[in-house]
Amino acid sequence: MMDPATTPLGQMLLEEITPVVMVLSTPSVEDSSLKNGLSFLHLLTPFCSFNNIDVPVRTASDQPYRLHKFKLRLFYASDVRRPDLKVAKERLKQVITEAGEKVFSELASDVPHIDHEHASSEYRNTPSWFQFLNKELVRVASFSDHEAFDHPVACILAVSSNDEGPINRFVDLYNSNKLPSLLNGGAMDPNILKHYLLVHDNQDGPAERASKIFTEMRSTFGTSDCSLLCINSSVDAPIKHQVNPWASHMSDASLSQGLGCFLNTDDINEIKNLMQNLSSKYIIPNMEQKIRELNQQVSATRKGFRNQIKNLWWRKGKEDGADSPNGPMYNYSSIESQIRVLGDYAFMLRDYELALSNYRLISTDYKIDKAWKRYAGVQEMMGLTYFMLDQSRKEAEYCMENAFSTYVKLGSLGQQNATRCGLWWIEMLKARDQYKEAATVYFRICGEDILHSAVMLEQASYCYMLCKPSMLRKYGFHLVLSGEQYKKCNQIKHAIRTYRNALSVLKGSTWSYINDHVHFHIGQWYASLGMYDVAVKHMMEILACSHQSKATQELFLSDFLQTVKKTGRTFEVTKLQLPVINISSIKVIFEDYRTFGSPSAANIREALWNSLEEEMLPSFSTAKSNWLELQSKLIPKKNSQSNVCIAGEAVKVNIEFKNPLQIPIPISGVALICRHSGSTDEARSDENQSNMEKNNEIDHFREMSSDNTSFSVSEVDFSLGGGETTMVQLSVTPSVEGTLSILGVRWKLSGTIIGFHNFESSHPKKNIVKGRRKSNYSPNNMFKFMVIKSIPKLQGSVRHLPGKAYAGDLRQLVLELRNPSDFPVKNLKMKISHPRFLTIGNPEHIKSEFPACLTKKIDSVNNDAQANPGIMSDTVFMFPEDTSIQGENPFLWPLWFRAAFPGDISLCMSIYYEIGDISSVIRYRTLRLHYNVQILPSLDVSFQISPSRMRMQEFLVRLDVVNKTSSESFQVYQLSSVGKHWEISLLQPPDTIFPLQSLMAGQAISCFFTLKNSRLLTSEANEPAMHVRSDLSLVPQSSDNLVFNINNAPLINFHHFESIAKSYTDQGDLNTVDFVLISRSLKSDNNSGLSDPPCVMSHHACHLSTASTGPISWLVDGPRTLQHDFSASFCEINLKMHLYNSSHATAIVRIDTLDSAGSGGVVQSPTSDIQAGWHDVTPTTPTSEPKVTSNAFETQLKKALSLDSVSPYIWSGSSSTNLHLEPMSSVETPLQICVFSPGTYDLSSYVLNWKLSSKGHGGGDETKQQSGKCQGYKYYITVLQSS
Amino acid sequence: MIVCVAVVGHQNNPLYIQSFTEADDALKLHHIVHCSLDVVDERVNNPKKSGPLLNETFLGLLYPIENFKVYGYLTNTKVKFILVTTDLDVKDADVRNFFRRFHAAYVDAVSNPFHVPGKKITSRTFAERVSTIVKSFGLTSAV
Repeated sequence: MMDPATTPLGQMLLEEITPVVMVLSTPSVEDSSLKNGLSFLHLLTPFCSFNNIDVPVRTASDQPYRLHKFKLRLFYASDVRRPDLKVAKERLKQVITEAGEKVFSELASDVPHIDHEHASSEYRNTPSWFQFLNKELVRVASFSDHEAFDHPVACILAVSSNDEGPINRFVDLYNSNKLPSLLNGGAMDPNILKHYLLVHDNQDGPAERASKIFTEMRSTFGTSDCSLLCINSSVDAPIKHQVNPWASHMSDASLSQGLGCFLNTDDINEIKNLMQNLSSKYIIPNMEQKIRELNQQVSATRKGFRNQIKNLWWRKGKEDGADSPNGPMYNYSSIESQIRVLGDYAFMLRDYELALSNYRLISTDYKIDKAWKRYAGVQEMMGLTYFMLDQSRKEAEYCMENAFSTYVKLGSLGQQNATRCGLWWIEMLKARDQYKEAATVYFRICGEDILHSAVMLEQASYCYMLCKPSMLRKYGFHLVLSGEQYKKCNQIKHAIRTYRNALSVLKGSTWSYINDHVHFHIGQWYASLGMYDVAVKHMMEILACSHQSKATQELFLSDFLQTVKKTGRTFEVTKLQLPVINISSIKVIFEDYRTFGSPSAANIREALWNSLEEEMLPSFSTAKSNWLELQSKLIPKKNSQSNVCIAGEAVKVNIEFKNPLQIPIPISGVALICRHSGSTDEARSDENQSNMEKNNEIDHFREMSSDNTSFSVSEVDFSLGGGETTMVQLSVTPSVEGTLSILGVRWKLSGTIIGFHNFESSHPKKNIVKGRRKSNYSPNNMFKFMVIKSIPKLQGSVRHLPGKAYAGDLRQLVLELRNPSDFPVKNLKMKISHPRFLTIGNPEHIKSEFPACLTKKIDSVNNDAQANPGIMSDTVFMFPEDTSIQGENPFLWPLWFRAAFPGDISLCMSIYYEIGDISSVIRYRTLRLHYNVQILPSLDVSFQISPSRMRMQEFLVRLDVVNKTSSESFQVYQLSSVGKHWEISLLQPPDTIFPLQSLMAGQAISCFFTLKNSRLLTSEANEPAMHVRSDLSLVPQSSDNLVFNINNAPLINFHHFESIAKSYTDQGDLNTVDFVLISRSLKSDNNSGLSDPPCVMSHHACHLSTASTGPISWLVDGPRTLQHDFSASFCEINLKMHLYNSSHATAIVRIDTLDSAGSGGVVQSPTSDIQAGWHDVTPTTPTSEPKVTSNAFETQLKKALSLDSVSPYIWSGSSSTNLHLEPMSSVETPLQICVFSPGTYDLSSYVLNWKLSSKGHGGGDETKQQSGKCQGYKYYITVLQSS
Repeated sequence: MIVCVAVVGHQNNPLYIQSFTEADDALKLHHIVHCSLDVVDERVNNPKKSGPLLNETFLGLLYPIENFKVYGYLTNTKVKFILVTTDLDVKDADVRNFFRRFHAAYVDAVSNPFHVPGKKITSRTFAERVSTIVKSFGLTSAV
């Protein structure tokens, strides 16, 4: 614990609670001292504090002690009274206002950051004017009659030697009428120590007259009580004092220059000696004496047991006395007052023990007397004495608390005293590092006066900061509270200061409500002071307040816009938060050798394009991606890192703007900020850049935006609704070669404020479309372009491409290419991503009518199928050499579109071209087109093929068509088999299948055909002349005679890609058949969702296998029913088996007949050998319904058989037959069975084992089955008893 | 009556703050809750004052301000719950009970896989549950 006297409170007490000396002076004394710019009082004041005296003091005890420091307080008699409250308040207000102005002007532009380390240094952050203000507040409570330390202990009577009748003047001066009320009113003893001082002005002449008067004085008032003071000895010239003793005592520093200019060193020494003598020889001994006197008196009347009893009894009797707030009046001669005086004198002479014992004594008396103010005063002094003694902290605090609350209870009477008491208490707590408690006391002394409480709250906040650990949040809160109060009494500068300090606490925190409040008010207040720039800066912080209510957002925004308007100019700022820019959404789209036909094409992943273009682009070296490297070699080294763009072609930037507010905000003039420098003056631009760095960012941007001779930027206006997000595409078009960099984006909010956003400074990660060498690019280079001179750029589009189509829809489209530039292009190539959907047509198609061009011409029946096999390949399509695209006329090329399967399809096409004549960094370019097509399901077509049991190489085909659309009706028009080997024919006339000639929405239909392998019939000869009927019209012949030629482009092409898509390896398999079903939509039905109903639709079914098991097919031929007289003999039935080998190898077939002993004709269990054996047609049918019925039928049959066929049949003849089957040939072998009784027999109990000889096949592919085993199929024969 | 409850994250960032008064004093309550963090910090860092119960989550009365009383609760993930009430005689047991239920509600809210730890709690279920707890706070003390 440090010495209490060295603490701020100790020092304050040593200065403030010191003996008061009353000064009475004549006007001529004042005149002579005023020559020095000082009143007489001020002249003496600097010499009233003695820092190195050594005065022995002996008070009540016999032990003397020494005082080393002492101070007197001088007051004119007129000032010895309670200060006027109003004046004091005015003065305080003035002090505060001045401090506000001063501190405000010193306010640094940025908010100081406060952390815990900072806060530890005491008083570092607290404004210095607080101490001054607190002192003033303490002084307001001085000269109260309830405490004695402000009572003058002595009186200096000063008379000038110029005065007429100086002796009489001395007497007049101490006239009781003029004396302060304290002395007159009986609160203190008017009989005080007087000192008579004769002041002689040396400028008025020699000191003879003065010494004469002085001797007269001595004789009148006694030698010891008189002194002579000569001033203004410096006659000739004003003296400048090196260390001016008066300067620190004057409030106004500017006047301190000429102070004491006529006082030379002798004068000063004289004053010094005078005051020292006065204090050590007169005042201190006088006080000592008074203490001793009073002590004796007090001991006599109040000390000892008897006196205490007496006192108590006496006080009890007085109880019903006047209960005024001040309690009873105490005369100076009353014992209570004397005890108090004794205590105060002892305190001033620093005999704290004595003081404390007397205060204790009097405290109880006052309490009993209910003299509350006096009681509080004594308690206050007790607290201070405890503090000075550095004893019992608890006692000290208790006393202060007690005093404070008592003062507060007194109401307005005790207000000033309460404040003073509080301040002392606070100082006491601060001296003991109890800042938190100090803060609460500050909080308690906030009176009704708003300004007062503002200051106190602010001081409280500093206490919270000084706490250990510091309570920064409370600091901030109290600053805000205090700022609020400052605002209420128009101390706006203080309010701003406190709020700004509060910001330092809130900085970086997520307490957005508080943050918003503070920023908003600072902004408002700055605006009210006319400092709009700063106001705007603060208000900008809170614009993006998505968490606030709509009303608050409106308030913030309107206030902000108003403030901006008041500035009278368009404001330009870099950190405008409205609207919010989604940095990660920024996309730069530029065209170097890659050009895009539509914006959607630019959004497709680069990798997709790369894979598409891979084959087309010229490869300069072996490595796959080296063309890029090579290109960069061609570019000058320093630019190799930057992107390339072409003069006259726009570089586009997609930026997403988001409105975080619930209210709409208008945005206008959104444009890119770019910098362009010519390629030649590289050095100059560097220089420019360094200049720019010196300027601030805004100027930099402004400069950039004004300079647009070498490029042009697009401007976009839009309005963002509440919470809306908009993607905006901005573009910049360079017109001159050089280097172009995109620096940022600018926009105008509500037409008044311009916001900038710098791309480079933000976020290093950019989502750049051209991310091929992403890792190599620094973000700055993403926005940097090398502009090269203009080269041709093709524009292309596909005409008539529908956005929506039904699956199977077949259309003719036209690719249109234009070259607006003057330079030719050559070597055009094209590649399409989805050949199933889009194929390239023949140029003659463009003239022919659709769909007529698809039909078979009567005259050219044998139009050869693979007309142009080049188109068939899925590699790059080369346009003819002589293609030239230039000028106004577009270049047209037909395309075929077929909606292959339902879904959302994105079609990509890339067209490659080389630049003709110009030598440029870029030698070729690609045009990328992209279209999205939505394809709806239409007809669901499925085929079932099962071998016919009637004839070899004949099959039964079942076609199921379901219309999956919701509203469309289709006409199923034609079914064709692809190739020349399959002939199809209807089983029923088309009228019966399609009675309405159309398939309504949701309708399903099945029809049956027979399919014949015509190759078998034509055999090896393979004559092409033979016309095979592979097309089948499904509408009555009368209606329309058009037959679509599926062997011609584009249908054959699409079919080709369809079959590739099915990815069969065994393309050469002769046992598969492909079907194409052509349907048309009915023109009458127009209410479909499509603008353009499909005209022709084709559905392709590929690789439908006819032979489900192996290459061997067979047929059992024989009678189905016969009659026999079983009474005569058993029945022998001769059957024939036809076998056909459809493979290219010789097959060895063994037929094993199985004589079933017990179960005879009963078929084998259906579980065995399912995959190897022949099945009935039914199990392979996917459609469930027929299967169910046939299964049921079968089981019934089985049951019937097992019951009925008691007598089985037996195979007669050989039980095993071996046959050699040449490739593609058939053979016949006889079979015979014997039946013993009439009945129905199932002749399926035989097995065919077949094996292909591998020689003929030459190793063949392994996937093909080389051997197999087939179970016989059901063949029922019914034998009846002939009558 | 409870006027405000708040959840404050371990970095003293507000996660949830809800007032239950008609008056427009959200800002004031924000301030009060914000300031209470100072006291929470003090309690946590001064084990002397928190007494022998080191693992006690309930911090008790933090401080009285104006006509409010502020109570605190600290979970073991350093998430603070703050309760501001106007009741002058609040039973500690009631507050403890309240915080216990509030804690359970909080745990359920942050267990939501869609909740991002350290971000504001936006769950409507949580808000409803909290308001039920707050309403029942008055009732249990009355019974």
